[in-house]
Amino acid sequence: MRVKKRYMVFFLLPCILLFALVYLLPIIIVLFTSFYEWKAGGIFQFIGLDNYIKAILEDTRMHTALKNTGIWALLQSVIHVGIGTTTALLLSRRRKGWKLLRTVYMIPNVISASALGVIFLNVFNPKYGLVNSFISLVTGEKFAKNWYFDQNSAFFTVTLSWLLYAGLVTILVLAGLASISEDVLEAAKIDGASTLQIDLFIRLPLTRTVIGTSVIIAATSMLREFELIYLTTNGGPGITTLNLPLYLYKTSLMDNNYGYANMMGVVLIILGVIAVFAINKIFRMNEADY
Amino acid sequence: MGKSKFLLATIIRKIYLSFLVIISIGPLIWIIMSSFKSNKEILSSAFALPESFSFKGYTAALELSPIFQFYGNSLIVAIASTLINVIVISMAAYILARCEFRGKTFLTLLLSSSLLVPTSALLMPIYIIMTNIGLYDTKTGLILVYAALGLPTSLFVIKSYFQSIPMELEEAAYLDGAGFVRTYYAIIFPLAKSGLVTAAILQFLTSWNEFTFALILTKSTTARTLPLALSYFTSQFSFNYTSMFAALTMAILPSIVIYALLQEQVTDSMVAGSIKG
Repeated sequence: MRVKKRYMVFFLLPCILLFALVYLLPIIIVLFTSFYEWKAGGIFQFIGLDNYIKAILEDTRMHTALKNTGIWALLQSVIHVGIGTTTALLLSRRRKGWKLLRTVYMIPNVISASALGVIFLNVFNPKYGLVNSFISLVTGEKFAKNWYFDQNSAFFTVTLSWLLYAGLVTILVLAGLASISEDVLEAAKIDGASTLQIDLFIRLPLTRTVIGTSVIIAATSMLREFELIYLTTNGGPGITTLNLPLYLYKTSLMDNNYGYANMMGVVLIILGVIAVFAINKIFRMNEADY
Repeated sequence: MGKSKFLLATIIRKIYLSFLVIISIGPLIWIIMSSFKSNKEILSSAFALPESFSFKGYTAALELSPIFQFYGNSLIVAIASTLINVIVISMAAYILARCEFRGKTFLTLLLSSSLLVPTSALLMPIYIIMTNIGLYDTKTGLILVYAALGLPTSLFVIKSYFQSIPMELEEAAYLDGAGFVRTYYAIIFPLAKSGLVTAAILQFLTSWNEFTFALILTKSTTARTLPLALSYFTSQFSFNYTSMFAALTMAILPSIVIYALLQEQVTDSMVAGSIKG
């Protein structure tokens, strides 16, 4: 289609400006200043790789934040996506009430994560929380565990605020399952395959790319996760539940150590790119099935 | 399969699915129920129904915090960023879907590369940029940032929708003497309505729920949005549980109501927005 140049520019420009303001310019700043010592009070000096070296050799907070982010991304990729996929397979039989169940399971994904954070803070409250009240009711003894602020349970409790809520994965895989041609399933049935065999060897492999997409979303969401930690443990007790985004936030906006924070930004961007390409490869996302 | 084995599978399935239902709405029901209880009732029993339905918690929460203002801010920010996002990105998506020009592949790749960037990595520079252009602590600043954050998703959704519309319609319009801009707004825009709605729903939900950038880019009640208000409540009401539960209920109810009303569209949007190839 032939379009006058000025129209093209006029139509593209606002989008490019928006992109430049919030993506391009910030990415350039992050990359560039990660090699600087940049702090409040006009300190701005080129220090080469010092920020990176300090992160690798000295900074134990950084090590913990990286380790936690990695563990959470892995758990989310395997268990979270596993739960979502299992649920989708169960619901795809379209037994009575499957739609209602799908709707209900999506609710935690629709309300804001910050509301969820405050809700969980109450659910796990040692004095009046839902979990402790339930345990007290069942065992008949007063149970007063401080889930979020006990060194031994904090990591586990924080993990619970996202691990089981795989409604988005469920609707994605459901959509993928629905697009499998009936002929394939019919042929398998005629050949005498059991329901479980059909699920494992036909339906799951055919939804491979959708599951891959879910894994990408699940893993990269952990590179972004902030509010569910900030509003509950805020990284504590100590640094037990610190992750990279939260550490970045604290470094830049609490300690005003901008250069160091932007080094973490670079690390996050690299991790994001690696995760997407690795998962693409593992799930052979660019290959067709038929 | 033996009958007992089948029965066992059914029982396990039912337990599993019931568990998902309980963890999904159990906490919400508990929060809503507790918002009608007194402090004493909350502390004495988590499972008892409220003795009487009292709205005291709600009136107290409204007196203690400018929750309506937060609502208003959230609504303004979410609607404005959705409008800007959909209008600006659909224009670019149209050119990228229909025209050939030098550097198109590069531009498309550049714009889609934003998909790979965890936005948390950009907290600090976005804060600095907004402060320097005088948009720190303003609704305008938040609106711009939100409109841009949804760029990759909207671009993908809208562009693929444009590509599914046959070109003949536009060509016919040109033959009838309609100009480029007119053809776009009178023919293409209405035709792409369902694609635009898909992008708009996603963008609205994202803006409505966003927390991190709201936290770092605002400080006063004139710009702060509802998700931020929640973090106030935990400290402000630390000994008035009823009000805290009431505030929490008021904060989550709109999302749930909107979802209940637009369920199919929201589900479809989320599927369309997630499958980005």
